[in-house]
This record gives sequence, C-alpha cells and structure tokens, in this order.
Amino acid sequence: MTGPVIHDVATLPADDNVNPYAFSVDLNGQWFLQKGKMIAYYGSIDFHGIGHGRLDRLIAGSFHSPLHAADWVVAEGQGKMLLADRAFDVNSYDLEDGNLTIRSGNLLAFQPSLALKQSIIPGFLTLIGTGKFVAASNGPVVFVEPPIRVDPQALVGWADCPSPCHHYDHQYLRGFLGGLRAHTGIGGASGEEHQFEFVGAGTVLLQSTEVLMPELATGAVPDEAGVPGGGGHPAQSGSQLPQLPGGLGDLQRRFGL
Amino acid sequence: MACARVHKRWSIVTAARTITAGGATKGRSGADRDQLGSRPVRAPGPPTTVWSVAQFRLQGSKVLAVDMTGDAVKAKNGAMVAYDGQMSFKKMTGGGEGLRGMVTRRLTGEQMAVMEVKGHGTCYFADRASEINLVRLQGEKLYVEASNLLCTDAALRTGTTFTGMRGASQGNGLFTTTVEGTGQAAITSDGPAVVLRVTKQYPLQVDPGAYIAHTGGLKQHFQSGVNFRTLIGEGSGEAFQIRFEGEGLVYVQPSERNTVGGEV
Amino acid sequence: MPFTALNSRMVEARIAPGQRMFSQRGAMLAYRGEVSFTPNIQGGQGGIGSMIGRRIAGEATPLMTVEGSGTVMFGHGGHHVHVVDLTGETLYVEADRLLAFDGSLDQGTMFMGSQGGVMGMVRGQVTGQGLFTTTLKGHGSAAVMAHGGVIELPITPQRPVHVDPQAYVAHRGEVRNKLSAALGWRDMVGRGSGEAFQLELSGQGTVYVQASEEKL
Repeated sequence: MTGPVIHDVATLPADDNVNPYAFSVDLNGQWFLQKGKMIAYYGSIDFHGIGHGRLDRLIAGSFHSPLHAADWVVAEGQGKMLLADRAFDVNSYDLEDGNLTIRSGNLLAFQPSLALKQSIIPGFLTLIGTGKFVAASNGPVVFVEPPIRVDPQALVGWADCPSPCHHYDHQYLRGFLGGLRAHTGIGGASGEEHQFEFVGAGTVLLQSTEVLMPELATGAVPDEAGVPGGGGHPAQSGSQLPQLPGGLGDLQRRFGL
Repeated sequence: MACARVHKRWSIVTAARTITAGGATKGRSGADRDQLGSRPVRAPGPPTTVWSVAQFRLQGSKVLAVDMTGDAVKAKNGAMVAYDGQMSFKKMTGGGEGLRGMVTRRLTGEQMAVMEVKGHGTCYFADRASEINLVRLQGEKLYVEASNLLCTDAALRTGTTFTGMRGASQGNGLFTTTVEGTGQAAITSDGPAVVLRVTKQYPLQVDPGAYIAHTGGLKQHFQSGVNFRTLIGEGSGEAFQIRFEGEGLVYVQPSERNTVGGEV
Repeated sequence: MPFTALNSRMVEARIAPGQRMFSQRGAMLAYRGEVSFTPNIQGGQGGIGSMIGRRIAGEATPLMTVEGSGTVMFGHGGHHVHVVDLTGETLYVEADRLLAFDGSLDQGTMFMGSQGGVMGMVRGQVTGQGLFTTTLKGHGSAAVMAHGGVIELPITPQRPVHVDPQAYVAHRGEVRNKLSAALGWRDMVGRGSGEAFQLELSGQGTVYVQASEEKL
C-alpha cells in the first residue's frame, strides 16, 4: 500500500522538516513565531502577543524590533507545532555565536536564545547569537559566495560577509535611457540596471522571485540624524504596484530615494 | 540528521538536504524535490479489484494521470490539461446527485462544478500548480473542501454534509463535500499535504486555512482562545482554530492560504 | 549545454567571450564576473523590421543581450524553469514564456494562423498570446518558464495529444496543431475556458504542458 506518510505526535520530527514545506517544532518552552505561520499543533500551547506583560523579560532579551512586535507572538508550552508559509520552501538554520541577516518577510520563527535586531538595510532583520531559526523562500535557497552581484529582489539574506553596497550598471543605464525607453516608453527597473554587490568572506542566500513576499513592517528606522533612511516612509506591504517608467520602483520605496 | 556546518559560524539543516558552503554550484540545494520531470513516477498502487477501474498515478507531484479503458472518472471542471486517446467530457451540474443533491448544493453554496470524463487513453489533470494527494478509500468516508477535490473514481459517491461552523471562517460555506465508497480520490493542496493522526489521547488543533480534508470518526469544534486571537491577528477573519477529537486522519496543507484551489 | 539547473526555479548559465545569450528583461537574479546586459530595441535577433513585426504580433516581451565572461543566474517570479535542448529541430514557444536562450539559436516569429487556419487564429485568442509564436531553431538550449512545472508528452502519429490551451507551454518537432471542440456546442456556450476548446497536436514530436491552467 503506497499510501501517504501518516504522522502523529510521536513520529513528527523534533525541530526538523516534515517535508520541504513544513517544519515541526518540538516545543518545550518558548519560541518566537510570526503570526499566522502555525498550521497545526498537538499538545498544550499558548500564544501570547508581544508586549503583553508577563513575557516582558524574555522580549527585552530577544526582541529588538519594536516595529515588528505586532506581527509576532510567543508560543509557550509543550507539544509539536507545525509551521508553514504559503507553500514556500522552509528551512531551519543553526547559528552558533554567529549572525545572519534575512529579509523580514521570510523569517517565520526563532528560538529566544537568538536576538532579533533590525538590519541597517531596511526591510532586513539580523539574528545574532546561538540558536535555531526557521525561514521561508520562494523555491529552494541557493547559496553563493562573494564576490557576486545580486538582483535585490532575489536576495533572501546573507551571513558573515559585510553588508552589500549598490552597484549601478552604467552601460545598461545608458543603453536603456538612450534606447528602449526613448523609443517605446517601456521602462521601469528590472534588476539589470542595479544590483546589490557583495564582497568579502561569507555566504549569500538567493531565491528565484521577482514577486516579493509581503514585507511585514519593513522596519522604518528612527528619524534622526545619522541614521540612513531615517524618516523614510514605512513601506506598504506587497510591492506589485505598477512602476513608473524610469522609476526605481522598489528601491525608491525601500531606500527612501 | 546530517548537519553540515556552513562557513564558520552558521549552518543550515533541513530534512531533505544537507548544504555545504561553497561556490554557486557546490552550494546549491541538493535534491530538488519539486521538479516535476525528475521525480520518479509513483507506482499506481496495487490493483484492488478485477474489473477495470481507472488507474490513478502521479506524473510528478502536480499532475494526475488517469489511465482509462472505457471507464469514467468525475473531475473538477476545467482541470483537464491534456489527454491522448479518445475522451468525451460531460458536464455534470450538481455533481450527479440527482435533484436532492442539486437543491442541497444550491442552498449550501458548496458549488462543485463537476465533469465526467470517459474514454480510452490517458487523461492528465492539474489545478493551478497545486500538489496532488491520492487517497484510497475502502469503504470509509472522506470529508474534503469542495475546492480541494480534483478527481474521483466514478464509482465513488459524492455528497454534501453539514460540518458546523468551520466553513464560515474559511469562506467555503457551511457544508463540506463527502466522498464515500471504494476507490481512489485525488485531492489538491497548496504544497504537499501533511497527514496527521488524531487519537483519543492526542487531539489536534488546526488553522482553518490549512485544513483540507479528514477521514475517520472525528469530532470537530472551534477553539478561540483569547491568546490565540492575538496570534491570528484582528481583521484576518481567522480568530479560530479547529480542534479535532476522536480517531482519524487530518490532511493539512503547508499554507494558510485558502485562495489556491478556491474560487475558480 | 550552457544551462545548469540550480533548482526547479533557477538556472545558471556560463558565458564566455564571443558567445552571447538572450534573456527576458528582469530575469537576471545574480551574476559573477564581467557580464554586460544590453536591452535591444530589436528585441533579440532579426533587426528592426522583425521587431516591428513582433510588436504588431503582440510579442513585445523585451529581451536583452547578455555578453561577457562569467556566470549568470536566471529565474523569474518563482516560476518553474524547464531547459529544452535543441539539436537542429524547432521549438515553438510563446515569447513571454522564454526566460533565456542561446545566441546560437535562430529566433523567428511564426504566424500560427498560417498553420492552423481559422482555428489557429482562435487559438491565439484563447491563449491570449496573440497569433504569433516565437520559434527557436538550431543547436543550443532554451530555458522556458511554466507555472507549476512541466510534463513532457510525446506525440506520435498514432497518438495525437489534446491539450488545454491554457496549460500549453511549448512544442517541438514536426507537429500540426489545430483547435478542436470536445464538448457539444450547447456546453460551450457561456463558458470562457476549460475544456470547451482543446489544442490538438498531431505528428511527431513533444509537447510541454504545465501543471496549471494559469497563464503566466
């Protein structure tokens, strides 16, 4: 009988993937969880909003992104909990006294032993410390090493290497401006004019997408002198608005250009 | 569980693959599970009966191939993507349940536009790139969201059952489609379904948007903890979870979306 | 073959000096080395005349030329990518499904109406892709996008294949296509899509079908 695999509370993996799209957390204590990413659970698990009193100490130690607080909860209790996100690929990552920066919409859950902070690159979150976290990607993640230039929309995150810088392709801009757009009015940014450039030692995580996952609260930074992007506009979720010819689209929004 | 250290301070662990840091080629995820062509075609299961029954097999994970020799299957309208041989298609308004079924269906809003496909050859079905799960029924009853039912043996009876309030939060109506009898059914899910066993000792809580089907003697009811409300968030219309108690199996999709395979 | 599948949704291509490739604009995900991307007003090969023809045909998917030395990763919208290797035969594919292809392939546009007659024209309306289809001929590879992955179905003279026009991706070989109606006329009335029309492919070759009725 070639039936499907049937899982129960005992056979569900502990802190491991059930299949490429679902992850099973063996909860015995607390995990931070993005809202709505739990699809099923066994056992007795409570879900607490962040900033609701009695978990203040935990949150003070692990959660340093006030703008994301409304999107996250703490799962507390004993049991097996299944996490998934719109049938995207789900991976778990182990950090050992390390750091990894990831697009905010891709992060599903993390252990409280990690500290979550907002990256200086808007829309990205940095996890620091030792522990496990779970993240989603559109298709399997592809790992590459610098030096490499990456379409910003294909970037999932990066580990260890320095934060990226912007790279503009002069040739493309010139050809683009002089050619296609002038003749046809077809325009817009498509990633070929501009990339994130990574250098140094580390690993860059890529996915195939031009359709971004909704960025839940991209994390506006304080409007103060010396903070890049300060006073930037908090981004609307989903970036599939039609782009104006020649506009920088996402970049404009994400970097407050 | 193999766990490869990547670079010096972090590593990635997954069930399906082990990833080592390296160049683009070295660092890529190893086995790519959802490439349709690369998957071995699953064996069509042991033939259960001597008379000729349509053979269901999966071509990859998102295309259902049905081999027919003069017999018929019932399938979701519009789900045929290709066929070879001789096929005829017949629209079956009301799911072929006769007048009463039609009336019930109209009242409940559980529209299941069904067609009957009959002929000789192979017919291929798919529904918006959803994963397809084969369920072999041996007399038991399958409860499935109408939008997730792709195809059944013509011999299986389909009907509609009142399932309480669950549908209300999912926008799928208050009724659920039931499939009964002996034969094969194919249900779709957004991502491969995870099948979870419910026992008396271990009841199961499920996000309504992730539920697709269940079998067995299960009682379901809503649970709406104050705490859980904070999880789902206000305004999403999902401030509930379904609690299953009893003995049975629950099919859950790795997604909270209810749009895929939903309204056509 | 220049395309290496990284996973079901991303391919990597190695490009060397003197070679070139064409890709859909926006399809580059990342690259290393010295690689330049030039949008062509010609829209690939064939010069301005061909471009005008293509614009009229509604096949105005902008292409760019990829040249230089290095590796480029392509992908688009999380769609599945299928690599088709050609050894002399012709691939027929809708332009907006083409992710990238070898510069060694001859690109052309074919008026589908000329092959399928009136029904061929209807076909254009059904798929919404216009009446023209891009052809690629020669030796090389093309990366084709599909929603939910692709299955290959062989077409033999004894076994024609019928395909839902919405799920049709591409075909190759000596294949004739025509649109047929499988349902009775009465059933067709009032139904915009589904099984009302089917694309019948007969001859000798392969048809690529996606696991979805959704167009790209």
